[in-house]
Amino acid sequence: MVSLLRNQKVRNALLQVLYVGALAALVLAGVVIARRNLAEQGITSGFDFLYKSTGWDVNFSLLPATANDPYWWFFLIGIINTLFLGTVGLMLATLVGTIVGLARTSSNELARLLGRTYVDIFRNIPLILQVFFWYAVITHLPTPRAAHEAWGMMLTSRGLYVPIPNVGAIAFAAAILAVIAAIALPVWLGRTSRLSQPFGERLGIQLAAAATALATAAVILALGRLPDLPLLDFPALQGLNLKGGLRIPPEFSALAIAIAIYGGSYIAEIVRGGFKSVGKGQMEAALSLGLSPWRVFTLVRLPLALRAMLPILANQYVWLMKATTMGIAVGFTDFFMIVALTINHSGQTLETIGILMAGFLAINLSLAAIFNRINKAIALKGNQLRA
Amino acid sequence: MEMVVVAPPAPGKVEDLKRRFFATPLQALLSLMSLAIMAFVVWKLLDWAVFSAVFTTSGGPEACQAAAGACWSVIAARWRIILFGLYPFEEQWRSALACVAVVVMTVLSCIPAFWTGRRIALVWGAGTALYYVLMKGGVLGLSYVGEEAWGGLALTLFIFVTTCLIGFPLAVCLALLRRSELPWISRTTALIIDGVRSLPLISILFTFAIVLPFALPQWLVGDKLYRVILGSALFFSAYQAEIVRGGMQGVPAGQEEAAMALGMSYWQRISRILLPQAMRNALPATINQFVISFKETSLVVIVGFFEILASGNAAYGTGEWRFAYVEVYAFIAFIYFIFVFSLSRYGAFLERRMSVGER
Amino acid sequence: MNPGKASGPAVRIENLDKHYGTFHALRKVNLSVGRGERIVVCGPSGSGKSTVIRCINRLEQHDGGRITVLGTELNDDVANIDGIRREVGMVFQHFNLFPHMTVLENCMIAPMIVRKLPRTEAETTARRYLEKVRIPEQAMKFPGQLSGGQQQRVAIARALCMQPQIMLFDEPTSALDPEMISEVLDVMVTLASDGMTMICVTHEMGFARRVADRVVFMDGGEIVEEAPPEEFFTSCRNDRTRQFLSQILGH
Repeated sequence: MVSLLRNQKVRNALLQVLYVGALAALVLAGVVIARRNLAEQGITSGFDFLYKSTGWDVNFSLLPATANDPYWWFFLIGIINTLFLGTVGLMLATLVGTIVGLARTSSNELARLLGRTYVDIFRNIPLILQVFFWYAVITHLPTPRAAHEAWGMMLTSRGLYVPIPNVGAIAFAAAILAVIAAIALPVWLGRTSRLSQPFGERLGIQLAAAATALATAAVILALGRLPDLPLLDFPALQGLNLKGGLRIPPEFSALAIAIAIYGGSYIAEIVRGGFKSVGKGQMEAALSLGLSPWRVFTLVRLPLALRAMLPILANQYVWLMKATTMGIAVGFTDFFMIVALTINHSGQTLETIGILMAGFLAINLSLAAIFNRINKAIALKGNQLRA
Repeated sequence: MEMVVVAPPAPGKVEDLKRRFFATPLQALLSLMSLAIMAFVVWKLLDWAVFSAVFTTSGGPEACQAAAGACWSVIAARWRIILFGLYPFEEQWRSALACVAVVVMTVLSCIPAFWTGRRIALVWGAGTALYYVLMKGGVLGLSYVGEEAWGGLALTLFIFVTTCLIGFPLAVCLALLRRSELPWISRTTALIIDGVRSLPLISILFTFAIVLPFALPQWLVGDKLYRVILGSALFFSAYQAEIVRGGMQGVPAGQEEAAMALGMSYWQRISRILLPQAMRNALPATINQFVISFKETSLVVIVGFFEILASGNAAYGTGEWRFAYVEVYAFIAFIYFIFVFSLSRYGAFLERRMSVGER
Repeated sequence: MNPGKASGPAVRIENLDKHYGTFHALRKVNLSVGRGERIVVCGPSGSGKSTVIRCINRLEQHDGGRITVLGTELNDDVANIDGIRREVGMVFQHFNLFPHMTVLENCMIAPMIVRKLPRTEAETTARRYLEKVRIPEQAMKFPGQLSGGQQQRVAIARALCMQPQIMLFDEPTSALDPEMISEVLDVMVTLASDGMTMICVTHEMGFARRVADRVVFMDGGEIVEEAPPEEFFTSCRNDRTRQFLSQILGH
């Protein structure tokens, strides 16, 4: 027996069995105890509850939602809310981050100082504090009766009201897609043929593509217009409240602003790091070929910097997606808040926690997959020396 | 032989400024824009925070609300609740001392003389014990104060320190398990680490605070505070484990081989050869992780703890100071800023110093 | 089970086989090293010479054949492995000194924690061997502050402090600048004259000629030729050996 324990192979096998077995036993014991505890409260395990109606409502949804809808529908709403807030947040954060990051790499000392101050301040204050702050600011705005008004928008403590076109939902979605295409198409076209065409000709094609897409959007809006209503629906005061327009609730705005500012400070550092990683030699080589500074930037510096940034940026985006869970702090019904509410109301603890894990795993994996594809597509071929 | 050096005419202040900020029209535009933004923000901020601000409590909230600038009287009136939460008023000196103990402990562990496993463990063990005795009392003539009364900055610091204290050794264990040569051990550990990393911290805190009691036998449930600390430590360790593993990968394979050839056992190799070198490699990233984890302690407000953010909400949320939320948040942000900024500056300093040392 | 007490050869290798995946690194290697014998192993890179000596103290695990070191068979028994490693010292191509310890600590740590020697005794041993490799004055320095040749001599001293019965040298001079090679070889020659059992993988043919009892030539995972140095250098039978020698002695 003793000599058997001294055998390396026996030892290794034993260690592995013990480790995995102990962990499995721990999890199993937890599940067994939880099921017994829940059964005592009259909660049966299983996923049948997904088809029951919830009996409570959500305060933000892109899809129609009532208290009569089943749980699975609410989970879907939660995921879409998370993705929506996450996407808006990361787009804004990228915008802020790019501006600040460029300021930080600029040759102008004052701009650099400005960028650095921004990063130093907003990176070092916890995100949730910033969320609370913006939420307090927005909810302390004047009531609808005394709303700030600008360009047809109303700024109130109940949220931001913006004009919205009077069109059907499907037409509206299609128009948004067309607008996205108007931005994406020129970028894609520019990518496929970088140097084979003269610069002017390429620009022409890009502009034409964008114009076509925008025109399509306009046609879709015109066709999908609701009858007997003006094209734009402006918010207006009716009694004590505002009617019409689209209301962006304070919860959403507070989260989006905070994520944009906080995330922006991180992305600024990533942008700076990316530009810093581009070797001086490559830029000098480009300049000595007689390229103009602008073309050196677009043809050499930016593409190389983007490649260096992307993997880190991907991590940051995954992080930002997870940061949407702070919605629960101000009552925004993101995926996690739906999960928490479900546990509170239905008591289906284990199943709901399982759904939570699966949901975030799916979000993480799909984001990772998207970025891996982009990364592969733009990776430098072969083993190039990068100084 | 005499050399005649013709010095170039010393550039005047004006030329120098011109060269640095107005070399080209674009540069000039950038400079003017930056200058305008800075001047505007600084002026507005100074005006709000200093010139038009009210500093005394004498006028009460009403006088304060009428002022155009900041109302710092809210801090003067409510700082105790922000820093110490609901801790008994007469005993708050204990809470303050406990915070000092934690700060001193952190500062001590930033000094290289304390960077051996035993000394750092001693400093952190002693610091945490001191904090615990001061806060909880019940011995040495200190009256007993239960965890439910802890709050404010003191609670924030406690959660941070215990998270690190539990999370760090756990991270080292996870990193060692993950790099094990035994496939089942390394794969299972990788699954745990990646699983935890894919989840948001809030969901883990929520699970530990609210769901875990269902899955534990009665005698194991314990206080909610310690469950949340455990969850936070688990999250910290999943991230820190990858940092430690990165540090281990930076140690050449020959180091372990040499130790093996000298007849050292697994634990001797790990503790004497691998870890000391790996920790040194991982130091900058580790400090960064501490910084992140300090900011993230603020999330416990969501599972219902009265830490500094919640006590801040309470400080302006009730009654007469309702309007003074900006001042309260600014105060809390300032506290966080001091801690986080100095830690991350220290991290940057270490990184610079180490990269110089390598050359 | 007490390595060292038994009589017989210091190392006996029988039909040693080793694979890395599909690559057959060692094919039926047989080698016997007597006590006090000095063996030099040479051969082109990838010939398996390093793998053989790394198998002797189980830095590599063999998958066929038998290795007996000082009368103890090297198998899955953990105690055997520990025992053998205590009696076999090794010097590496890249020194592998512990960079976070001083030279003295490098030499003291293993005797203290493996052999459980008291600190004072470990220190006197360490200083004695540092004297022997002729760098007693560097004891308080860190490895990074020494030259390559000095580092390799510290590595030899570190291995000797465990008072091993066999020393393995894995290309000890390959990573050194030419002017530092001789200072390391001098130490090795002194060691050989003290009667240490040594197995050296090296291309230093002058060293082989001076101290080796036998020279072993390996190629393609096999021992191609095995002979005393004068015979090996003057009248080797094998074409591969001759080609190798002409390349390495050259011009």
